[in-house]
Formats: sequence, structure tokens, C-alpha cells
Amino acid sequence: MTFRIGQTLSSLALGLALATTALTPAVWAAGASDTDQERAARWQEIAKSIFGDRQIAPTDSLVKIDAPVRALDAALVPITLTMPNDGQIKAVSLIIDDNPAPYAAKFEFGPAADPTELKLRVRVNNYTDMHAVVETQDGKLYEAKQFVKASGGCSAPMGMSDEEAMKGMGDMRMKFAETGPGKPVEATLMVRHPNFSGMQMNQVSRDYTPARYIDKLTVSAGDQTVFTLTGDISIASNPVINFAFKPDGKPIQVAASDNQGGRWQHSFNPPAPTN
Amino acid sequence: MRRIGRVAASCAALFCLAAAPADSPVNVPEPEGLYAGPPKGYTPPTLTGAAVVDAASVAALMAGPDKPVLIDVAAPDRKPSNFPAGRLWLPVHPSVPGAVWMPEAGAEPLAPEREALFYQRVAELTGGDKAKPVIVFCHVECWGSWNAAKRLVRKGYTGVRWFPEGVEGWQEKNETANLRVDPAWKAASETQAGR
Repeated sequence: MTFRIGQTLSSLALGLALATTALTPAVWAAGASDTDQERAARWQEIAKSIFGDRQIAPTDSLVKIDAPVRALDAALVPITLTMPNDGQIKAVSLIIDDNPAPYAAKFEFGPAADPTELKLRVRVNNYTDMHAVVETQDGKLYEAKQFVKASGGCSAPMGMSDEEAMKGMGDMRMKFAETGPGKPVEATLMVRHPNFSGMQMNQVSRDYTPARYIDKLTVSAGDQTVFTLTGDISIASNPVINFAFKPDGKPIQVAASDNQGGRWQHSFNPPAPTN
Repeated sequence: MRRIGRVAASCAALFCLAAAPADSPVNVPEPEGLYAGPPKGYTPPTLTGAAVVDAASVAALMAGPDKPVLIDVAAPDRKPSNFPAGRLWLPVHPSVPGAVWMPEAGAEPLAPEREALFYQRVAELTGGDKAKPVIVFCHVECWGSWNAAKRLVRKGYTGVRWFPEGVEGWQEKNETANLRVDPAWKAASETQAGR
């Protein structure tokens, strides 16, 4: 809002003709503030239901959300969360305000985590604010916000039959990026799982495919936890998560479960550091 | 565009294109009566007896002297039957500000009492003026608005505008407002559900 008003004012300075045209968006902006207020009120409601009465302070250093302003595919919106790597981040929650199930994901970091950069792909149902809320080791909460234009992601069909979508469910792959000794290792975890939202309709039978999504996923490096993810229907099908960890030479273990009792476990060997 | 491709791919994969009203996504002919196929899919470019409008025309009508009646017939977000009790479920329905939301009034078949209520509500909203501009919409590629608009044309409304881009087309350049279901429509749904 401030930005638009500022634009109008500078236009006024440029001359009367320009100012006249610039006033039209200013009138429109007055209407827009209703939407902004509506969004702010919704965020208050969501934050209260998730975090209770705890205070959440704004931050631009403890967490940042990168998301496309306009997503190409609402069912597959790439999100990057950037956080400092100094051990102070305990957990991060991703909330997609205007999704019917707004609480998309919570990552709780363990001692082997490097939370510098975390990537995942989500479904976005409406033009929405997204919030990332970090909890620091001292128990304080901080939030960052990003607006995303996409719609229909939660109900978009996968473009194949349910049987085909569930083929190989629970299979996993992991890719490791090259790294130097003593440095955190970047990894990409790919999980084969439809993550059915329960809002996707089979266009022929007109039945809804029941929700079947990964609700818990734990990644450990040896005996040390990297992160535990609590997931929801807003995570895109065939989840892909980019993360980093502190290697200690032991295999990376991944344990995942879904809300229908599926349980999977895989182990991956990170490459030996090259000098 | 990906979404359109996705729907097309899913249709092709499920061999449902044959059941759709046309082979070509860009030239879907108008069905004889109301459309009873899958609610989501390519719609015709026309609706006989109604004008087809885009978001700019809707905005212009709303800004004009003869305020249109806006009717949103989009289905509400469906809560998955097995959604866990403890998880946050808080659906929201952004739409054209000032619209009256009567979910699934474009369903076919539609229970006779629902259809009667739909006509009654539109009669109330138009003040009995059959020439009043009425804009009917739901989502893009949604047959519900086509059917609902068709119902009004058949009922003798002469100012019917069908807005096929729906809320997706509207929100590109305009602000939305979160709607609640029309109270009369909601009350009737609850009575029905309680029977």
C-alpha cells in the first residue's frame, strides 16, 4: 500500500496530467486495503490456532521465503526457505494462508542439520500469502511473508490413474552435491508418493481419491537427526526436498510414513569428501 | 497453461475425451440442454441467449449505473473424508466482491427444490426485473456457471452474462473478497442434509 501511495505522490510531483491518471490506481488501492486487511485477519486466525497466544515477530534475517510470484503450475510450486546456519534455528513452519489446510509443513531440525537452504514443492489453491515461521533455540518465533499467485493446486488431478500414481509408492532416491572436507553436504531427497490431497476428483467416476499423504519423514545422518518433517496435503505429489547436513561419514537414513499406515525406510551413502 | 495441459492429459489418460462434448478443446459445441458430464472441463465459447463476458467487461458493468447481480456457483473446497481431526482445516472462498455464492447451483441434475430456490433467490436479487444484468461464474473450465446461466436464460432472463474465466480470470487484475455461502442457500442445504 505504502508503495502505491508513494508512487502516486511522485507522479503528482511530475505534473498535473500524470497526477490525474495516477489518482485512479490510488482510488483502486483504497479498495485493495480491504483485501489486505482480510489477509492480515486470516493470518492472525491461523497463527493463533497453530501457535496459540505466542508472539511472532517479523524478521528479514532469520528466515526468508523465495517463491515464484506467479507459479507455472499451482500443484507444483517450488519454495526455498533460507535460514542462518549458526545453530539458533530449532524449527521452521510453512503456512499457505489461503489453502484449505494452511499448515503445509513443519521441519524440526536436529544436531546434524544445516538449515541454510531448504527447498520443497507445494500445492497452492488460491492467490495467497505464505508465511514461514521459525522457532529459535530460546523458544521465540519469527515470521517472514511472501505473496504467491497460483490457484487450483489442491484439487488439480495428477493426470494418471490412482493405481499408476501409487506405483512404486515409498521408493526414494537421494542425490548429493559435490562438497569439500568439513563442509555441509547438500542433498536432494526424492520420494515416490502421490500425496493425494483428498480434494482431487476422478473425472470419470466423479469419486474423490481419499487423502493419502506423507505425514512424517525423518532424515538422520548416522545417529544424529537432520530434520523431522510433519507434512500435510499441501505438499506436492512425489515430494522433493533439498536440504543440507553435516556429514560424519555414516549413511543417511530416511524413514517416512503416511496417514494410511504406509511405512518406508531407506539408507543412502553420501560420497566421501574429495580434497 | 500447465493446468490445462494437466486436465487434458488426465482426460486423455482416462479416455474421457470421448465423453466430453467435443473432440477439440477450442471448439466445444453447446450441448442440447444442460450439461450433465464431468463438472470440470472445456466449455463452449458461447451460450445462446446470454452474452459471454471477460473480466474487464465485468469490472465495467460493476462500475456502471445499472449494477449487475453477481452469482458465484463454484463448489466449496471439499474436506477429505479421512482428513485427520487434529489438523487445521480452514477453507476460504475468494471471489468477485459483492457476489452471491450459491455453491453448485449449476449442477445437473439438481434437486427440484434446489432449482426452485435458485430461481427464487435470483428473482429476489434482481427485484423481479428479468432484464437486469446478471453475471454468472464459477471457475475457469467449470460447467457449473454455464448450466446456471442456461437455467436463467430458460427462465426468461434477458440480461444474463456468462463469465467463463470465473474467479481465476477476475483475480488477475482485480481484488477479491472472501465469500460465505448465501444464507438462504446454506439454510436449505442444512435442512436437506438433516433429513
